[in-house]
Amino acid sequence: MGEFKVHRVRFFDYMPTAIRAMAFNPRTERLAVARADGALEIFNFADNYFQEKVIPGQDGRAAEALCWLGQRLFSAGLNGEITEYDLENLRPRYTVEAYGGPIWSISGNSQGTLLAVGCEDGTVKMFEILEERIQFQRNLDRQKGRIVSLCWHPSGTLIAAGMMDMIKIFDAESGRATHRLLVERGVGASKGREVVVWSIAFLSDHTIFSGDSAGKVQVWDGLTGTLVRTHLVTKWDVMALSTSQDESSAVAGTSEGTVVQFQFLPSIVGQQDKEWVRTRTFKNHSHDVRGLAHTDIAVVSGGMDTQLVVRPLLDKVEKNTQESAMRKIAFPHRSLVCCAKKAGLLLFQFPDHLELWRLGESNGHGSPGDSLSVKRKPEKLIQLKRKGEDHISCSALSPCGGWLAYSTVTSFRLYRLQNNNISVTKVSKLPKDLRAAQQLCFSSDSTKLFASCSRSSVVVVALNQSECKYLQTLRPKSGSSQPIHLLCVSEDGKWLATANTDCEIHVFNLDKLKLHCTVPVYSSCPTAIAIHPTHSNLVVVHADQQIFEYSLVHKEYTEWSRKLQKQGLHSLWMERDTPVTHVTFSSKNAAHIILHDTFMFCIIDQSLPLPEAKTLLYNQMTLRSLPESERIMHSHAFKICKNFQHLLCLRLLDDNSLVVVERPLLDIMSQLPAPVRQKKFAT
Amino acid sequence: MEKHTDNFSLMLDSSDDEAPEELTFEESKAQALKSMKHALDTARREKEQLKEKRRKRQELFQEQKKRKLLPADVLEEIDSASSKKQKQSEDEGEEEQQGEEEEGKEMSIKKKKRKRSGKLAHARNLKGKYTVTTVKHGASEASQRQAAEDFLQSRLYGAGSCRTTSNELLSLQNKKGRNKSAAVQFVKKDWACSEKAKAEKLKKRWIHKQKIPC
Repeated sequence: MGEFKVHRVRFFDYMPTAIRAMAFNPRTERLAVARADGALEIFNFADNYFQEKVIPGQDGRAAEALCWLGQRLFSAGLNGEITEYDLENLRPRYTVEAYGGPIWSISGNSQGTLLAVGCEDGTVKMFEILEERIQFQRNLDRQKGRIVSLCWHPSGTLIAAGMMDMIKIFDAESGRATHRLLVERGVGASKGREVVVWSIAFLSDHTIFSGDSAGKVQVWDGLTGTLVRTHLVTKWDVMALSTSQDESSAVAGTSEGTVVQFQFLPSIVGQQDKEWVRTRTFKNHSHDVRGLAHTDIAVVSGGMDTQLVVRPLLDKVEKNTQESAMRKIAFPHRSLVCCAKKAGLLLFQFPDHLELWRLGESNGHGSPGDSLSVKRKPEKLIQLKRKGEDHISCSALSPCGGWLAYSTVTSFRLYRLQNNNISVTKVSKLPKDLRAAQQLCFSSDSTKLFASCSRSSVVVVALNQSECKYLQTLRPKSGSSQPIHLLCVSEDGKWLATANTDCEIHVFNLDKLKLHCTVPVYSSCPTAIAIHPTHSNLVVVHADQQIFEYSLVHKEYTEWSRKLQKQGLHSLWMERDTPVTHVTFSSKNAAHIILHDTFMFCIIDQSLPLPEAKTLLYNQMTLRSLPESERIMHSHAFKICKNFQHLLCLRLLDDNSLVVVERPLLDIMSQLPAPVRQKKFAT
Repeated sequence: MEKHTDNFSLMLDSSDDEAPEELTFEESKAQALKSMKHALDTARREKEQLKEKRRKRQELFQEQKKRKLLPADVLEEIDSASSKKQKQSEDEGEEEQQGEEEEGKEMSIKKKKRKRSGKLAHARNLKGKYTVTTVKHGASEASQRQAAEDFLQSRLYGAGSCRTTSNELLSLQNKKGRNKSAAVQFVKKDWACSEKAKAEKLKKRWIHKQKIPC
């Protein structure tokens, strides 16, 4: 099949950030996740949990709470500002100061007309939702402590607010606090400290759920203002609460990393009177759970261990199916590493800086599985810090290693690298059309730079020596306003393919600088695209793991692609839960397609037969044990290797060696903040 | 008794017999005008009195404001760095937030009078002595945010929160896992370098000590 010299790279110190808040939009089935560095991620739950959009963060803007109002997304943070996000251009639309000090929580009413924020100074501020902005309406009666959590009653007439030591119920019309529910402090040492009601939920039958820092989940009757039931769930804090849409189930997330479920069931089977009973406990996290969302079929949790866990509830889905599997999303669904194939350089993208490394060299030859001795160690050439407060949203390195570009939501910078990639000079006169871009790509001969901009268009600039000139803006015919998340250019420089989050793929002819064709839209979002260097076939892998091959010359699906669709992909292939993030081709063998996801890389040999549904998919080990003559009979097209994990990037250099950038999970876990100390037997 | 009734009847008579007074048109017009003028006069006088009162009050406020600000020479000595410290040390109570901002603005305007820093991007030079700039979203917001974050941090990671280290968590996993192995700091090569160096030194010292008596 192939013997490759592998550069095993483990010096990319990628560190994900903790999840601070989450909000699920049931109508569009999108989950918004806010991270501690201010970044926002949108996951499409209807499309195999694909991470559709990432809005980079900003220094000093960390969202403490998120909420959806229709299709609009709002966040509020401890810097006292409410931000609305532009999900089509992937940046904040505007920020509004609430003038109440740090904001702890934000919530919209179910009618979608008012937004309430809970502030440090004890006020609940109401904002009116207008077409293009929000406007301050009034304050509710000011209270003596900070408002830590908020929840509207589904009718929009009452607001329950969790504060220090108590819960207050406000009448939204008059602004007066009608009930005061006193929350008991913890026992022992915590009796001297105030108890903080971290999270609160208000149901339509006026039941209030509260989770506090003493580890209790309490059920209250909002009409009379009395306590119905107390559940002591943990010794630490209960930081997050969420209820299902049909109000039959509620989940609470704790600092221990457990998620506890309560269901509204009759306590004795067969009887009519129901009450809230504690049912399941999930321990899917090692650190605090800060964000929770309850969808119709699953519980989504995330916290300080940076992983997003989706746990389907087995009473809502069929057991032992693809739907019922638990998912842990730990790595981004896009590539943060750029490789200069000709120069052997790697560019690592961090939120606040970029690192340029030169790969090491080894002189050995060995048999498969050997570690070759390193003649020259990999070295870090440049560390480039970004300017300004906005985090880097995308970056690119030209294949020759001579140009470096990165973009934030407000600015774009291009640098020329010279003297064997040691000196960096900024290109100052940039064309004005080259503004913030969501994706960047250099042509293979490093003479052109492609930057995506609004309305799924691409700006083309020509590069020569140390200046760049604007050439054209390529626009698709569909006029979609969704952002481009994939950009790729062919080796011969003739074609440019773009994919946006509306699942559209457009191909432009670079010789004529106009639209060539649009690939038929498939229901799932593309996660990786690439153009074959010689055949000019476009290979697309989608979020639901489907693979398509489209001939650009003939403007139709290729024979191989039709054969694949007819036979269908192997079930184990379809059950993989991480998307393919990169597709590349081998210069030695034109029939090879190399792709990878987080846990494996695969070489698809188009000359071999496709695997049948019942054959073993991961058959590399078995093939190796067979004698040479028998291997041909049993091999199939999908050759999967799982030696390297967790893969952040896999590229094929021009000298036919593989570069594999791994990030072991242990390295990430070792740098996480302190977890709670749990005393376990025999330790 | 008769006198009373006499008097009574007299009064009644006088009012009964007499015809109503005849007023000419001019007289009544003059009277109406007079009363109107009188009303206008009183209104004007009242307005003037109110104006006077308001002016006096405004002057009093100006006076108070001037008294509130620090004397000019003290301001000159104050550096921009130390003035930020002053703002932070002030009470972060919500009532004083607005007052703080105003005061901050005044201080910065006064300072600009003397410093005239042309570096600020939003500075406009008005005629003469003033430079008006926007106050940078300031120290008060940053300090409030820091205080809120400190509160969160102390609640989750502060005293009484019963936390341990990631090393311990991973070591426990190693110990309880299927293939039991040592604590992570011994398993991973690049961990706990300082402790390992210390242990090496101690070992060398012990070996050296053992050798000496022999």
